[in-house]
Amino acid sequence: MSNHLYPLASLVQIEQTPSREDGIPESLEEDLRAYGCKLIYQAGILLQQKQVAVATAQILFQRFWFVTSMKQFGVGDVGMGALYLSSKLEECPLRMRDIINVYDVLLQRASHSIGPKADQQFRYYPMSYFGDTFYNLKEALVVAEMQILKRLGFNVHVVLPYNTLVNYLRLLGLGSNKEVCSRAWGYLNDALQTPVYAMYQIPTIVCASILLATRHLSIALPSEPPTCWWELFDTLWDDVWSVSGHIMRLYRPESSEETQLVVGMLTKKDVRRWLEENATVLPRP
Amino acid sequence: MDAVEQENSERQKKWLKDKKIGEGTYAVVYQGREAGTNRKIAIKKIKVGQFKDGLDMSAIREVKFLRELKHKNVIELLDVFSAKTNLNLVLEFLDSDLEMIIKDRSLVFLPSDIKSWVAMTFRGLEFCHRNWILHRDLKPNNLLIASDGHLKLADFGLAREYADPGYKMTHEVITRWYRPPELLYGAKYYGSAVDIWSVGCIFAELMLRIPYLPGGSDIDQLKTIFRALGSPTEEEWPGHTKLPNYVTVGQFPKPPLRDLFTAASADALNLLNKCLIYEPRKRITAKEALHHPYFFALPYPTHPSKLPKCSTKQDTPPLGEMDGNLNGKGRKRKLSSPDGKVRSIARKLDFGQVVAGSDG
Ligand SMILES: Nc1ncnc2c1ncn2[C@@H]1O[C@H](COP(=O)(O)OP(=O)(O)OP(=O)(O)O)[C@@H](O)[C@H]1O
Ligand SMILES: [Mg+2]
Repeated sequence: MSNHLYPLASLVQIEQTPSREDGIPESLEEDLRAYGCKLIYQAGILLQQKQVAVATAQILFQRFWFVTSMKQFGVGDVGMGALYLSSKLEECPLRMRDIINVYDVLLQRASHSIGPKADQQFRYYPMSYFGDTFYNLKEALVVAEMQILKRLGFNVHVVLPYNTLVNYLRLLGLGSNKEVCSRAWGYLNDALQTPVYAMYQIPTIVCASILLATRHLSIALPSEPPTCWWELFDTLWDDVWSVSGHIMRLYRPESSEETQLVVGMLTKKDVRRWLEENATVLPRP
Repeated sequence: MDAVEQENSERQKKWLKDKKIGEGTYAVVYQGREAGTNRKIAIKKIKVGQFKDGLDMSAIREVKFLRELKHKNVIELLDVFSAKTNLNLVLEFLDSDLEMIIKDRSLVFLPSDIKSWVAMTFRGLEFCHRNWILHRDLKPNNLLIASDGHLKLADFGLAREYADPGYKMTHEVITRWYRPPELLYGAKYYGSAVDIWSVGCIFAELMLRIPYLPGGSDIDQLKTIFRALGSPTEEEWPGHTKLPNYVTVGQFPKPPLRDLFTAASADALNLLNKCLIYEPRKRITAKEALHHPYFFALPYPTHPSKLPKCSTKQDTPPLGEMDGNLNGKGRKRKLSSPDGKVRSIARKLDFGQVVAGSDG
């Protein structure tokens, strides 16, 4: 059994994810991943879950899509499964019923926002505990939890970046600069909506957050060879730059068509329907 | 079937299930083999309550921690695979556990044997603690013994990380007899010292051949501890009366350990004492324990391959045949005395010079 405790996606997995292989365009997959992470985050807040458990769920969620196609599992279901599994991993277990209810609210609200009555106020219709919806969601949640564990090969070890950030800032003499610190911290949180935690080592991601924060605040750091600050942390410029790009793409404005498309594809059924209507399966490499 | 399914099913084919050998709270354990090599393995099949709470927390902890821990005194997780809705942990096969050995009245323990088991326990535990993992359920039954005599920490179903010292944890851990007083008093902040107390109890049990502090209830457990070690004073253990479940269970004087452990060496008692200190912060750590003079004094720890082993039911030789077995490789040390006498003789032999000398 492999001993990689902190597994990263391979180059092949990154270049051709299972979803892309099934014909889902790269940008659509990216949006769906980000939306799924946002749902996890919102559910985490509503459930008053610990931040480490929510971050862990988001990272497991991102890893999952490097080994699984969205045609096979829904973004909503896997999000629930990730929240449930991470709550156990981080010793702050959530109740299945609570997760299901919160997801039901979030998904109803999302579909309301793109529906014909989007201009009216959203009203939530609670489901019955004995009805099909609850039963189906519960089954989907149990299956998703197991599938995440199984498909990640039981590599559920997650490293969070916050301690590293504090150390790096101290080494760069920015330890007492509150503004840099809170900005970089924010970028690290936002990065949880991107796949970077499943693609790059923590030092690289932390350097990207520092790069974005210092650029934003116009703080100059030594960046000319032979003294480049990121090299102090054994990271490569190209990687740092690429992570920064992933984070920045989160902030580009999204058209309402894009939002509509994403919100309409949160279940595998929706994805399958979309694929049938838009089938342009890429040739396998 | 996608790439992941394929890999999983290939992995599954590598491990052959033979027969059921046991059942725990959340798993059924099978004996099996590795296809090709025929190496003996154990397959722990986790029961998944499909429509209950999904995967059991203990199962998740066990996978999580065993994946990280690779050490010769920690049970090795060889593989994990899933079949339908089940999780299967493939573990190295371990013949017996320390509880079986302690209970096997036909075995005689030399001081060097006890030293060897205790040393292996501390080595495994030191490795866990170095990786910020608490075991939280140490007892003889969870110390498994490999066929080559190596002792391995197993059953990580209650283990957890403790990097975050300010983090609240449940005190409902550790089987009662091995549970330290801070947990009995309901402490929510605790650390590696809880495991050390358990090792102390196991150490004592190896010398006594019966559980050292067998309380009948949580309250009785405290009484049993205080009867054996004296009631803690505020000076010995500052603040203990402020713990959430503090109760007074009467005042007991502190009897010398020597009264019960008549044959133990001074070093052994000194180490035992340090494992059973009331104030958790003063209790010895696994690392310090490994440097304790006890492990460097004569007699040296028995080589694992030469430790007493349980006989399986089928191959127990009739009583009376064993006296000649005391020397030689892979021997089984046995006594031919009727059961009632075994204990007292075993106690003397355990620490007496006579046998220790005649063994060499
Ligand atoms: N690696 C192994 N090699 C050989 N036998 C094993 C192994 N692991 C477990 N067993 C056997 O299977 C039985 C069940 O083990 P398991 O760890 O599931 O539960 P337990 O320790 O008996 O109980 P609990 O779950 O309450 O701790 C054990 O008592 C033991 O006999
Ligand atoms: Mg056990």
